[in-house]
Amino acid sequence: MADELSAVVVDDHPAVRAGVAYWLSSGTPPIRVVASGEDVRAAWLGEGAQADVVILDLHLGGPTPVLGDLRRLVEVGRRVVVYSMRADDDIALQCLELGALCYLTKAEGAEHLVQATRAAAEGRPYTPPSLAGALAGDRSDHRPALSAREVEVLVEWFQSESKEFVAQRLGISLSTVNSHLERIRIKYALIGREAPTKAALVARAIQDGLIGVDDL
Amino acid sequence: MFASLRLALLGVTAVVQGLGVAALFVHDHPAGRVAFAVPALVTLLCAVWVVRRRPLPKALVVGGTVAVLAASSVATEALPPDAHFGPAHWSYGLIGWHLLLLLLDRVPVLLAAQAAHVVLSVTQWVLAGAPERAEIGSAGVVVFSVTSFQLGVLVMSRILLRNARRAAEVAAERERAATRAALAEQWEQDLRAGFAGQLGATLPLLADLADGVLDPRADDTRLRCALAATQLRRLFAENDDVPDPLVHEVTACVHVAERRGVEVSLAVSGAPVPVPTDVRRELTGPLAVALSAARDRARVSLLRTEGEVRVAVIADAGVDFGTVTGRVEVECGTYGRHTRMEARWRTS
Repeated sequence: MADELSAVVVDDHPAVRAGVAYWLSSGTPPIRVVASGEDVRAAWLGEGAQADVVILDLHLGGPTPVLGDLRRLVEVGRRVVVYSMRADDDIALQCLELGALCYLTKAEGAEHLVQATRAAAEGRPYTPPSLAGALAGDRSDHRPALSAREVEVLVEWFQSESKEFVAQRLGISLSTVNSHLERIRIKYALIGREAPTKAALVARAIQDGLIGVDDL
Repeated sequence: MFASLRLALLGVTAVVQGLGVAALFVHDHPAGRVAFAVPALVTLLCAVWVVRRRPLPKALVVGGTVAVLAASSVATEALPPDAHFGPAHWSYGLIGWHLLLLLLDRVPVLLAAQAAHVVLSVTQWVLAGAPERAEIGSAGVVVFSVTSFQLGVLVMSRILLRNARRAAEVAAERERAATRAALAEQWEQDLRAGFAGQLGATLPLLADLADGVLDPRADDTRLRCALAATQLRRLFAENDDVPDPLVHEVTACVHVAERRGVEVSLAVSGAPVPVPTDVRRELTGPLAVALSAARDRARVSLLRTEGEVRVAVIADAGVDFGTVTGRVEVECGTYGRHTRMEARWRTS
């Protein structure tokens, strides 16, 4: 099964590693966890080095988030889904700035993790509700300018956790909700430091016609 | 207290000075008369301030002290050698009172001036001619009696003053305590009044339950109970001293719903902003209503953006209380199986 998606799970709790592996393998199509470990070496050595997606816990046995490890993984083009215990807006925005494709809190559950991993394997961003809240509440000076509709989509998604509900509320289709969310992420990818994942994301968005070259 | 003591001293000094007139004429001498006039003048000058209960000016204190000591010296000098410390030596007993009157609030200076006066008088007496043994005895009695009496007055006045000061301190502390108690009582009353105003649906509900008008098993009653519980819990949280009161109140409402068995997912985003208590009340009030109507699941979110604070509830059941406009805008709606309530407050 050469086209089966693969992931490596870096988390200091064995129960979380086992749980994530189970969730990913029980989706359709299943995602295979090829390696897992309590520190980031699992993502650099053996089969883990070849995995499509790195699922990275930010707090590996210490109080400081392992943002350095995230940066090194992203710099070599690895697609990283940050999976964290803490719903901290600033850290979430920092992870996006570094080039993570998703910041997911552990409170958000299996469905979001499977979707985030699947999106990341394709080099696409995924914006779970908590991250949408962080983006909507972003008051930093260098934040990108979002349209009123984009802000509404973010807020509604954060408030409802249901894209169907957002679509119904705003009178748009489900795919429009998704493309708004993706476009917001592209705007974020265009600010701050450069990263291969962010460049790939923008390139893909142009290819898909989501944004024009003029928008850059 | 100090002013009264000095007023008494002024009286004593004036009387002693008046009594001294008789002694003045025992050995009448022009220098003696001048020397008698000086302390009398000092007494009069002091009276100007003492009677008005004002502190003596420094110039008067310094000048008066020097003048009475000089007058004492002159008067002593005018005496014949055998009259020292005798009935004719009016200045010895009198000047000590003047010193007390002038220096009652400057104890070290007073003691020094008294000592200087004693030394001066004794020196002048010794220089006037070698005294006999009997004279030494009687002079010693006079010096000791007068000095110890005047020092005794000083000690008593200090004790009186200290006690008066302590009494004043105790009285002030009592007054402060009474003020604090009154303030605390006022605060409690305000809190009670505030609570009574905020109790909302609770009191009529309790009355109806007690009267048996309501059936505790009816859905509507349970809904009202849920709302009353949430409102009470929110009200208790309102006065807690926490870093982020809005999140604290929202969490309090969520806890009540969770105790009822509702599965609530709570999300908070954006940095905290200060929200006045009454605005918090308007933001969390609709939240309590919406959340108490939820049956099994609810999503509660608090979002703080650049210019807005938004509290929203998406639940599987709810009450639609329409749209409220004002400082806090409330919007309700039903979308398929979900009901949505959002309260928004513009921070700027």
